[in-house]
Amino acid sequence: MLEAASNLLAARQRSALALLGILIGAAAVIAMLNVGGIARNETIRQFRAMGTDVLTINVSSRSSNAVGLKRTDVEAIPAVIPAVAEITPFVTGGGTIAFGMATHNATFAGVAPEFDDVVRLTMQSGRFISFHDDYEAYCVLGAKLASSLGDRGERPRINSKIRVGAYIFTVIGIAAPAVQNPMLPLSVDDTMFVSLPNARRVMPGQIMGSAVGRLAANASAEKADLALQAYLNPKLRDAYLNVQTARQLIAGMANQMHIYTLLLGAVGTLSLVLGGVGVMNVMLVSVAERKQEIGIRLAIGARRRDIRALFLSEAVILAVAGGLLGIVFGLAASWGFAWLSDWEFVLSPEAAPLGAGVSVLVGIFFGFYPAVSASRLDPIDALRAE
Amino acid sequence: MLEFENITRTFRVADRDATILRGITLHVGTREVVSIMGGSGSGKTTFMNIVGLLDKPTSGRYRIDGQDVLTADADRLSVLRNQLIGFVFQSLFLMPRLNVWRNVALPLFYRRTPLPEAKAQALAMLERVGLAAYADYMPNQVSGGMRQRVAIARALVGRPAVLLADEPTGALDVQAGQDIMDLFMQINRYLGVLIMIITHDPKIAAQCRRQLVLRAGVLMDETPLAAA
Repeated sequence: MLEAASNLLAARQRSALALLGILIGAAAVIAMLNVGGIARNETIRQFRAMGTDVLTINVSSRSSNAVGLKRTDVEAIPAVIPAVAEITPFVTGGGTIAFGMATHNATFAGVAPEFDDVVRLTMQSGRFISFHDDYEAYCVLGAKLASSLGDRGERPRINSKIRVGAYIFTVIGIAAPAVQNPMLPLSVDDTMFVSLPNARRVMPGQIMGSAVGRLAANASAEKADLALQAYLNPKLRDAYLNVQTARQLIAGMANQMHIYTLLLGAVGTLSLVLGGVGVMNVMLVSVAERKQEIGIRLAIGARRRDIRALFLSEAVILAVAGGLLGIVFGLAASWGFAWLSDWEFVLSPEAAPLGAGVSVLVGIFFGFYPAVSASRLDPIDALRAE
Repeated sequence: MLEFENITRTFRVADRDATILRGITLHVGTREVVSIMGGSGSGKTTFMNIVGLLDKPTSGRYRIDGQDVLTADADRLSVLRNQLIGFVFQSLFLMPRLNVWRNVALPLFYRRTPLPEAKAQALAMLERVGLAAYADYMPNQVSGGMRQRVAIARALVGRPAVLLADEPTGALDVQAGQDIMDLFMQINRYLGVLIMIITHDPKIAAQCRRQLVLRAGVLMDETPLAAA
């Protein structure tokens, strides 16, 4: 074993090239597995907070005189469509808000009192907009918005005043930090919530474009989608409806992940094969260069299988060294991917053993032919070789 | 020990049969020291390959230590070589990346001798050839004469019955060559090994108790009467 390793060191440059191929291959396989695991974990995390029965409706207007959703229509949905358990409409927009001397760009959301229940929003202080607040100038701040608004070292608290244009709102609650849900058209943490009637003041001319709800237990996402389209579409003018359910979104994400996985898998397989061919090349050249050595080994009593084992172990050492480095690089790459996309890094338990196993197999597979051809050499021819 | 009965060896070269060895019959007993002389093309190397079990005769019978080698397969020949024969080649063939004692221990490695025991035996054999102090040197760190001694130690470490030396002094100066010959004689005396030396140097051949000459594939015993 030691001998095999020192022989490889002697042919450093050639070994390095073969190693590189295996390294890239193993790294791609590891990265593929681990990124898949990270993405799965992220999907689970995003939907753990809000559940997989969430559905959202978004209306896109085609012209300036479009008519969007009506609050009463949306609130009547659970009665008309049993597949939808609950649903609440909201308006989104954005603008500048001021807290004392400080100003900040914020997302605005005009919401009905059920909004916090439907999206499972929790409060870190105060309370959410209630039934009694429709015509009160009250607002609720998202966690990040509240912490980034500061006037001379002072953070907004309950009863702080927030100014939007000509209107002054009193803070009645600050929401707890929430996991960003990919289905909502807003980030809860960056949003200032006001009541629906107040929304017309801070977002004049904005149509009611969104609703978020939940499917009834065991209801089909596709049927609910169709029923919602059939019910709401006739009520819209110059606008069209888009219904999204968490299950469809998850399926879509899974589909996309599958494509990435296949792609990375193909890259990994290709470079493993290239690395394997590199290993074979290194070993064939090595066999050709070391014919005399093979001859002397045969002369002093090495059997065919001893020669085969010598060269096979060199090939496997080469492949395993590449594989181990590949594991390190693959994990580093998936860590980088998680860091860039701001996802939580998780280590897939199968990644490292699989990468190591695959590279051993590549070493054995591509090292076999050179090893066998070395072991078949005639001792006299081998000794006579230059 | 070595029994050759009417050995011939024929090669096919360019659709013609070339007979290199023609009916060699020879018996060599244990503890003998034999030289084989011969010019280029006399069949020296071919004969040595057959003696050393690297090649098989085309016809005839060859028994080594009572065992017929014509029926043995490649792996069986490897085992017989490992147990019965020690080679000393003209171009030493030491493993450049193994140190001196590991080179010497290599035949034991193929015998699956445990490493500590193999090392002990290798060191003992290096002691005998006078290189005990160089056990941890690499082959390229010692002189040509020393390398030849390492090769001899390697050939002897497995306690073979036969030591085959192909031009063992060919690459050495006169003094170093004579030292090697003295070592051979000493080994023959104390270890009782049959030594067969292939050489083209009459001075080397003259030191052997039995002197054979190959001419165009025919072996003749030319031991001077006085020496016999």
